Amino acid sequence: MAKSHPTDPTADGTPVIALRGVTKTYANGKSALRDVNLSVPEGDFVFLVGPSGAGKSTLIRLLIREELATRGKVMLEGRDLARLKRRDVPKIRRRIGIVFQDFKLLPNKSVRDNVAFALEVTGTPRASIKPAVERVLRVVGLAGQADQRPSELSGGEQQRTAIARALVHDPHLFIADEPTGNLDPLISWEIIQLLLRINEMGVTVLMATHNADVVTALRKRVVGLEDGRVVRDETGAAYHRED
Amino acid sequence: MIAFVAFSLKRAWQGFWRNSLMSLAATASMVLMLTLLSGMVILFLGLNATLDYVKGEVQVVAYLNDSATAQDVAQLTSQLQAMPQVSTVKYVSKDQALKNFQVSEPGVADLVDSLPSNPLPASFEISLRDPSDYIDVATFLRDQPAVDSVQDIAKTVSQMTAVINVVSTVGIVVLLIVGLTVLFIIVNTIRLAVVARAEEIEIMRLVGASDAFIRWPFVFEGAFVGLLGAMITIGLLMLVQAPVASLLSSFFNVLPVQATAMVGQNVALMVLGTGVGIGVVGSYVSVRSYLKR
Ligand SMILES: Nc1ncnc2c1ncn2[C@@H]1O[C@H](COP(=O)(O)OP(=O)(O)OP(=O)(O)O)[C@@H](O)[C@H]1O
Ligand SMILES: [Mg+2]
Repeated sequence: MAKSHPTDPTADGTPVIALRGVTKTYANGKSALRDVNLSVPEGDFVFLVGPSGAGKSTLIRLLIREELATRGKVMLEGRDLARLKRRDVPKIRRRIGIVFQDFKLLPNKSVRDNVAFALEVTGTPRASIKPAVERVLRVVGLAGQADQRPSELSGGEQQRTAIARALVHDPHLFIADEPTGNLDPLISWEIIQLLLRINEMGVTVLMATHNADVVTALRKRVVGLEDGRVVRDETGAAYHRED
Repeated sequence: MIAFVAFSLKRAWQGFWRNSLMSLAATASMVLMLTLLSGMVILFLGLNATLDYVKGEVQVVAYLNDSATAQDVAQLTSQLQAMPQVSTVKYVSKDQALKNFQVSEPGVADLVDSLPSNPLPASFEISLRDPSDYIDVATFLRDQPAVDSVQDIAKTVSQMTAVINVVSTVGIVVLLIVGLTVLFIIVNTIRLAVVARAEEIEIMRLVGASDAFIRWPFVFEGAFVGLLGAMITIGLLMLVQAPVASLLSSFFNVLPVQATAMVGQNVALMVLGTGVGIGVVGSYVSVRSYLKR
């Protein structure tokens, strides 16, 4: 039932993510990615899988331009990240929502203020901050806990706060790097449901994960990395290769 | 723009209090160093005033022949006054010299009265702009027929000039070393305060904050630390001002009173400028390493 996914950009519309022959070699000589080709069209939901050290987080760091590719091209919505001007990098990042295994919340701010922070530090006018924050808190189901601090929340609620913060700029691409790595299976499912809803709203989702149950159950597109190479790229696939 | 400044100031204020331990450490080292620095500067200024005074005290004394006429005196006076090395010229007549002697040595006044004629010569007391010009003026005077002799203080003058030079050089070097130490310690304390907030900076970058939005709150926070440190330092200096001033004037004995007020104002300005300047530069440099990538 798994079928091969074309890695070339679809004929109509620019892919949200396009990697062409991307190699990333870190300063210490370690090659974390080798000749990677990947194309993700708008609205796709992609699981990025592979053993620890395969290069998943490295690929994500290239997408948010935390790192630059050593060779090859990384394109985001048709824009070559290597040729992006320094002052345009923040603008690109506002089109990407990103969450991590550790939630990266500010411990001394409430849920509401953590989310509002993303708007404040990007110069959003005061008047439009409050409604935007309330809206995303409703989307992630945290409207009732808006005044609590991260230490007063469960792991799942903390991750939902991080997701709300990532959503508040209306991103076109949502990236999650092992978002359920610190959560128990039941709570993990809640987070996955939330990501599926975000995808249904039209946002392209890329999720790096080790969670085999989730990947296999959902039958989405699966991109497998091993030792820095793409070893599989299938839609409707399971966590492990089935052929 | 106003919204941005308001945002940065608000964040700076919050940042200062959120990390109050770090901020207080930075402020405390700022106070310590600014106090040290201003102490050094006040000492240096006092020393300089003393040196200026001592320099002013260096005099060339030339004794005149008893045969010198009033015309000789007038001519020599104007010649001396025309010399660039000379600051003031004072003529002491024979009578004046005798009176001065009687005042300074009352015990032998009777003895002087019994003398048939006044044995003391008339003289010129010449102050110099710079003691090292002593030789020029002394040589000029020795060549004058009206001049009998010139008091030989060449050795004293050269010794004093050497001491003055050494003291000024050492003062400047010590001031420089203290200043650089101040800068180093404060920049490092501020850097620690920024490192403590690395996670916050990371989040700001991830959500797409521009460099300006990340940098300026920290720069304002640094300025705030500098301002607070400077104000505490100035407060401390004002508290100890009276005892220190009397100590200084008894130690140097020469510092004019009105100069102390001026020194106080200048030191306050220096403390403010240095504090805020170091705070701003320190945080700018510290936060820059996080924005490089
Ligand atoms: N900053 C870095 N400098 C040098 N090497 C690095 C750096 N970051 C990652 N690596 C190396 O690159 C390789 C890929 O790392 P990466 O973090 O991308 O793996 P991953 O697939 O995300 O692993 P995990 O599933 O454990 O998160 C690893 O061998 C890692 O040691
Ligand atoms: Mg990883």
